Amino acid sequence: MAKIDEVKEQVIIGKTKIVPGLVQEALDEGSAAKDILQAMIDGMKVVGDRFSAGEIYVPEMLIAAKAMAKGVEVLKPLLSTEASTSLGTCVIGTVEGDLHDIGKNLVNMMIGSAGFDMVDIGVDQTPAKFIEAIKSNKNVKLVACSALLTTTLPALKKTVDAIRESGLQGFKIIVGGAPVTPKFAEEIGADAYAPDAGSAAEKAKAIIAA
Amino acid sequence: MLTKRQNLLETIRGGNPDRFVNQYEAFDCDPRSPFGMIMGDPIAAASPRVGRGEPPAKDGWGVTRAWPANVPGAFPVHDEAHKVLKDITQWEKIVKAPRLDYPQSEWDKFKPQIDAIDRSDVFVTLFGAPGIFEQLHYLMGMDDCLIAFYEEPEAMKDLIAYVTDWKLRYAKLVCDNFAPEVIFQHDDWGSHRSSLLSPDMFEEFFLEPYKKWYGYYKQRGVQLIVHHNDAYSANLVPFMIEMKIDIWQGCVTTNKVSDLIRKYGGKISFMGDIDNGLVDRENWTQELVERHVRRACEENGKHYFIPCITQGGKGAVYDGVYDAISREIDKMSKEMFR
Repeated sequence: MAKIDEVKEQVIIGKTKIVPGLVQEALDEGSAAKDILQAMIDGMKVVGDRFSAGEIYVPEMLIAAKAMAKGVEVLKPLLSTEASTSLGTCVIGTVEGDLHDIGKNLVNMMIGSAGFDMVDIGVDQTPAKFIEAIKSNKNVKLVACSALLTTTLPALKKTVDAIRESGLQGFKIIVGGAPVTPKFAEEIGADAYAPDAGSAAEKAKAIIAA
Repeated sequence: MLTKRQNLLETIRGGNPDRFVNQYEAFDCDPRSPFGMIMGDPIAAASPRVGRGEPPAKDGWGVTRAWPANVPGAFPVHDEAHKVLKDITQWEKIVKAPRLDYPQSEWDKFKPQIDAIDRSDVFVTLFGAPGIFEQLHYLMGMDDCLIAFYEEPEAMKDLIAYVTDWKLRYAKLVCDNFAPEVIFQHDDWGSHRSSLLSPDMFEEFFLEPYKKWYGYYKQRGVQLIVHHNDAYSANLVPFMIEMKIDIWQGCVTTNKVSDLIRKYGGKISFMGDIDNGLVDRENWTQELVERHVRRACEENGKHYFIPCITQGGKGAVYDGVYDAISREIDKMSKEMFR
């Protein structure tokens, strides 16, 4: 098995201590940094699919994302000199009145692992904070808004409305969280809804390509 | 007509209940407590609780809790400045459990409210939170906690043993002083769609500690363990049974409760199946509540099931929702128990 394939396999099973060394070996073998990064992104897609299918659980997804992050650290100095592989910037946050961060953090990791540059603005964020983050970051292609409480569904709508009314353009909005349904997402004018972190990454890639 | 406690026991034992158990009615024993259950003791009194809109406060374990005015509940704060345990391998130096050595006079202050309970009608029910798993992620933050199960499993087991030991010593004190009949214990083990840990990992880390903890309560005369977990955890029910949980409160609809009753009824009972997410909404109506209560009652039937809002205590986020559910359950009782 080529080292680059081993990198992918070891990311999938979350070998945080092994992946950085394997990335270096793949580079030594002649693989380009962007190809190794792509192998890790492909590995995380497998992880996301397995999570969505209920085959693995949150710790397995976290440990895989951590393994990928360790591998990316080795690639970072090289990636900055190669052509950008980024899919753009994603601003992510939990809406006002909601302090839940677990789901948002998982989506952050999975969308980041799919190739986006993530800007995590945190929990309990007002619509103005989302807009400020969109304005102050370059190349924003995606805004991801999370809500876990029925009480914050109105805040999710308020956030999407405010972003639309701001006149800012060039990005798509994806929403999610336990009480959010595809119907609700459509009603409030979001571009996409994802039921879990694994499918959020796939939805994110699909809507910005559309 | 059976008393509330008799009716509950008939329901969970597959006997002859004369109506549905109406949500928390059989555990609603202390009118001064926010959830109607016993929540006061010297240890809790010494652990500051943050109130809505108040500045963040540190609890007895050193966990900072914040409750901004615009959110419905308090949350632990896990930024770098506030996280208690940043390196699990250092837990022995960092984690300090709250003291338990209070004089008898401190316990005696809480006894009048216990003595006032009408034990012929309702159970003397002690509210407990957080659980063992929650205590870990309150200390560490969820992400670090879940990763540590893989990266430092032995340190995690040691910390779990430390937390469990404290909970056992606390259990002895409350049994000595309050003689509770029911323990209503919180510990959320999942998200809406899946358990947080795989069943294998859950078994490895939590089965034995919980068997020890809940087993102790049973040895001391506690009749029922009611465990709150408003999440998907259908895959963990066999462990719940082994832990001696009598009632799983908070089972949300994604668990397919009627299937669980068919599979496990008689070994454990299920309390919930009326999700906050479905009925506890800004635009709720009596018709919406009626629809969900009817579905839950008709699908799950009279045995091993208690229709209830899934949140872990009497009440709801939006005014009127809890009482609306109760009214619909009473209607279903009249219809189904004729």
